[in-house]
Amino acid sequence: MNAARLVVALVLALLPLLTPTYAQHVAIVVLINAAYTVGVYFMLRMGYLTLGHAGYIALGAYTAALVSTRLGWSPWIGIALAPLVAGAAGWGLGSLTMRLRGIYFSLSVFAFGEIVNATFRAVPALGGPAGVAGLPRPAFAGIALESHLAYYYLVLAAALACGTFLYRLQGTRFGFALLTLRTADEERLAQSIGIDTPRYKAWAFAACCAAAGLMGAVHAHYLRFVGPSIFTFLYSTDLVVFAMVGGLGSFAGPLIGAAVLTALGEQLFSVGYYKSLVYAVILIAIILALPGGLLSLPQRLRRAR
Amino acid sequence: MPASPAQLEVRGIGKLFGGLSALEEVSFTAPAGRLLGLIGPNGAGKSTLFNIIAGAFRPSRGAVLLDGRDVTPLGSAGRARMGIGRTFQLATLFHELSAMQNVLQAVLCRAPRRTLAGLLQSEAYRREQQACEARARQVLETLDIDAYWNQRAGGLPLGVRKLLTVAVALATEPRLLLLDEPAAGLSEEEGRRLMARIDATLRGRCTVIVVEHHLKLIQRFCEQVIVLEFGRVIYDGPPAGLKGNTRVVDAYLGHD
Repeated sequence: MNAARLVVALVLALLPLLTPTYAQHVAIVVLINAAYTVGVYFMLRMGYLTLGHAGYIALGAYTAALVSTRLGWSPWIGIALAPLVAGAAGWGLGSLTMRLRGIYFSLSVFAFGEIVNATFRAVPALGGPAGVAGLPRPAFAGIALESHLAYYYLVLAAALACGTFLYRLQGTRFGFALLTLRTADEERLAQSIGIDTPRYKAWAFAACCAAAGLMGAVHAHYLRFVGPSIFTFLYSTDLVVFAMVGGLGSFAGPLIGAAVLTALGEQLFSVGYYKSLVYAVILIAIILALPGGLLSLPQRLRRAR
Repeated sequence: MPASPAQLEVRGIGKLFGGLSALEEVSFTAPAGRLLGLIGPNGAGKSTLFNIIAGAFRPSRGAVLLDGRDVTPLGSAGRARMGIGRTFQLATLFHELSAMQNVLQAVLCRAPRRTLAGLLQSEAYRREQQACEARARQVLETLDIDAYWNQRAGGLPLGVRKLLTVAVALATEPRLLLLDEPAAGLSEEEGRRLMARIDATLRGRCTVIVVEHHLKLIQRFCEQVIVLEFGRVIYDGPPAGLKGNTRVVDAYLGHD
């Protein structure tokens, strides 16, 4: 296991050095999406399907954009503030809607995502329909991270931060207690053994949204632009598809799903808007043929032999 | 188990659902350490009373006191931390978790959360975790269901699931334990064995209130019986007095 980890670490650290710029770009997008998907997976593991994750990503991205362009502060300040803003919003909405479950919860988060997007579109001070352009790249040790290669390492660091945070959070007593909230009955049982379930849910949601906000900020500085057309409902559903195609059996599932489908999606640029359609078809195929997701593929092949 | 049994006092509890009165004016005291049976015809208000004692419902009036302390303002989770444990009628468990993990959830609620230490994966945190797992295993052993520790709770036979619900409640180290029809769905023999196991495990450790339909079980194991009818207490005394009490006999058999 440790050998496998070392290989993955070496590949992540060294491969971009040997690849062309376009491959570096794909790697960056893969890492960004993987970090987002891990947050969606974290919620799915609790039994909650979030259909508005892009709203929290947008909060992080816009925080970074407004701090660095309107206020002219260092991008690092925006990147540091973004998880706080998105996390606080997650906590707030979590406190309000966590009494809901199933489709009602999903719809409430979906509505929140749409409200966020609509607000950014409607308020000129927040960029309006045109969005906010001209985000600078942050500088590290005096060097602006202008090249794809340099920025790759910032994205890698942020993705590792999000992933490690949520992975380790799962392993804590808090994270373990989050497995008691799947159904209304189980939640009643959880309360009867002393778990203050509304608070747990709100904090869990805050954690996922904070991670989304951090990566959203890094994402924004990569694009140098944020706009209401980027963090849409379709982005939210794509993330859910990544998680489910990868498989919900373990933490590796969402990573695999995000990596495979994002890399594929980058090849589908010519079909543009229909990318989500392609994803949907893949999702249905996976659900029918491989219910455990890509994660269960090796096991399935072994059994088939 | 270090916790000592608690005395429960229910004082003038009334509960209205909409305009409908489920409980009129229920008062009784369960002395510390007692095994008390709560019976009554369907719709008498037993479940409502249970939910009010456990904090799942708020009473319209009256108070619940644990060792003289008013716990009425606390919700379910708060009362669990005060030492009120309960089981549910339908053998509610965390179905996707293993038997051991079910109990572990309850054990961990007694441990400090210390999420930051957990994120940093400190050695002390890991040791605490191991101690909790050992404790969970011990609770399973107490009820003699440790052989199932690794199995998914949702897939266990009903008798084992019933015991597991008791194990989960027990792992919170309750001072008062509410058992909601522990024998429901079991054969008479299974029910008797289950009650004997519960009795042997809990006697002296905590106060127990059990709702049960099997009168025989109540008469055999309980020292005090409370009979509810139409939201009122119509009998509060030893099981021996049940048969001679005309109101109880009427409530159960009806009269012309």
